[in-house]
Amino acid sequence: MAAAITFPPYLKKGNTIGIVCPAGFMPAEKTLQCRKTLEQWGFRVKLGATVGNSFHYFSGTDAERLADMQAMLDDENIHAILCGRGGYGCSRIIDQLDWKKFRKHPKWIIGFSDITVFHNFLYTKQKTASLHAAMANAFNNGGDKKEYVLTLRNALIGKKNTYKIAPHTMNRTGAATGVLLGGNLSILAHQTGTISDINTRGAILFIEDVGEYLYNIDRMLLQLDRAGKLQHLAGLIVGGFSDMKDTTTSFGKTVEEIIQERISNYSFPVCFGFPVSHEEENVALKVGAVYALKVGKTVQLKEV
Amino acid sequence: MNRSQFLRNLLGAMATLPLANSVWAKPATDPQTKMVIPPYLQPGDTIGITCPASPLGLKELMHCINALKAWGFQVQLGQTIGQHWERFGGTDTNRAADLQAMLNNPSIKAILFARGGYGTMRMMDAVDWSGFQKNPKWLVGYSDITALHCHVQSLLGIPTLHADMANGFEIREDVSSLSLKNALIGKPINYTGPLHSLNRAGQSTGKLVGGNLSLIVSLLGSKSALQTEGKILLIEEVSEYKYTLDRMMTTLRRSGALDNIAGLIIGGLTATKPDGEEPFPMSVEEIVFEKVANKNYPVCFNFSAGHIKNNLALKLGVPYQFSVTGTSVSLSEGQPLPAPVSIPIVTDSVQVQA
Repeated sequence: MAAAITFPPYLKKGNTIGIVCPAGFMPAEKTLQCRKTLEQWGFRVKLGATVGNSFHYFSGTDAERLADMQAMLDDENIHAILCGRGGYGCSRIIDQLDWKKFRKHPKWIIGFSDITVFHNFLYTKQKTASLHAAMANAFNNGGDKKEYVLTLRNALIGKKNTYKIAPHTMNRTGAATGVLLGGNLSILAHQTGTISDINTRGAILFIEDVGEYLYNIDRMLLQLDRAGKLQHLAGLIVGGFSDMKDTTTSFGKTVEEIIQERISNYSFPVCFGFPVSHEEENVALKVGAVYALKVGKTVQLKEV
Repeated sequence: MNRSQFLRNLLGAMATLPLANSVWAKPATDPQTKMVIPPYLQPGDTIGITCPASPLGLKELMHCINALKAWGFQVQLGQTIGQHWERFGGTDTNRAADLQAMLNNPSIKAILFARGGYGTMRMMDAVDWSGFQKNPKWLVGYSDITALHCHVQSLLGIPTLHADMANGFEIREDVSSLSLKNALIGKPINYTGPLHSLNRAGQSTGKLVGGNLSLIVSLLGSKSALQTEGKILLIEEVSEYKYTLDRMMTTLRRSGALDNIAGLIIGGLTATKPDGEEPFPMSVEEIVFEKVANKNYPVCFNFSAGHIKNNLALKLGVPYQFSVTGTSVSLSEGQPLPAPVSIPIVTDSVQVQA
């Protein structure tokens, strides 16, 4: 399918992880536990200028966020970039970034939610894999000890993760192998038809979202479908859809039923309840890597 | 008034006269643009009302039905009126079938959508447009109906009407309903707009396309996506948060849809929820203007269209002259008239020399 994907080098002890906030504002103290844990894992941490910085809603002006991300991309002594948080703002700066040095020295870019802007862009424009995984806040409140955050460590040092989860009554059984793409549904919808548009033919797509109206979930899935993004999937992984909202006139369906209806014409395997979400259950997934998905009496996603 | 202006005005007046009288049941073809225009309505014509999206009961249609009858039209209600399926005015299949029946029924001369809400995108792919293509009729609505406007513009290029829907009618005729009536009977559109500090001056000509921003963005990447090049783009939106408005405008910019347009008309534009603890650092108008700041086509704000009190009827898919200056905003239907060339100029210059 797509052209060969570059895999940035995995991290070694003593390597440095840069933390930036390319979107919403984050108080620096909320990154403390994350920094401590990364150091316990054997890495050094460098904080970007946007951590703790704020410009109203954002973690800095566009120019500040751009400069911080650019500096992290260009610095050869930074071996991975962990985004502090999402929120909104990546799409405002992504087109102004210069990827010349990154292409010579690719590095893992880590995050989820609004960071899906980067995952899509890196896959489609830079042909480089990236890490859909926990951000700084996930390390707080004991998260640093949980299996979910630990999958990020495995991914960073090059261990291939295999995830086994319990079956869901709405799963559609089958097996598929393909490039793993996806992330936040709102962001996926918002990249459709833009310069970051992704080719999902033959891919395993994963989706998650938070705080959306059910009708909007339906509309976003419909957008993806009408844009041909669902028809030729190899498989679909449905993560968490937390804090869904409904309108005065109820939508009358659960989010699972909305998804099921939208893909009812297709036959690829589907699993629900996968631990990729805005909640604690959020495992590391390499966007752009090939995975094998098996949906049967058990559900397994394995990087191949 | 100088001579060339006088001639231009005279030509303009003459050009509109035959048009107003010559539009009968057959779709008119604009001689300049070769564009098919649905026939304007005559007294006694029937208007169909259907629910393509959210449900609407008969009770909520009474002002509309009364007004349409007072205007001299007949009204035919679709099967979906009063229907309820989940949050829609019937199943997707039922809603598509209702619209289909109205499109195919030769005695229905225009289709007024009952209300927006959500659901048009779910049913419109099931509609067969071949009958409509042969015998076009005015499709009237806005908000969620923007999906149909874009779909019809992109696939068929047949004009539609961005205007209030059945649920928007009040007991008395108001600015919105009067403008709809005038548009339906074929009065050429000629509106002025308010001044705004972010308006960008300029003059242009192009077909008007667009509508609700959420829907325009939701169609990106599909066959129904708007082709905006050379067009005047209309955008109106009610967003919850400013950041969602910013995200949609950023998406539109990144799709290229704002690159080569002839002009931008911003109608009602609102973010309904307060910013909260982390305010968004721009007004809704600034959010929009920022996305087109490096372009040079005319832009106007607060144009009277959309989810606001005065929702002026706008024919989409037909050419307009759009003018924004420091002291005026105007949108007038029609192509610019060919400038009266040599004769007056030569005469003037002779006079000067004499």
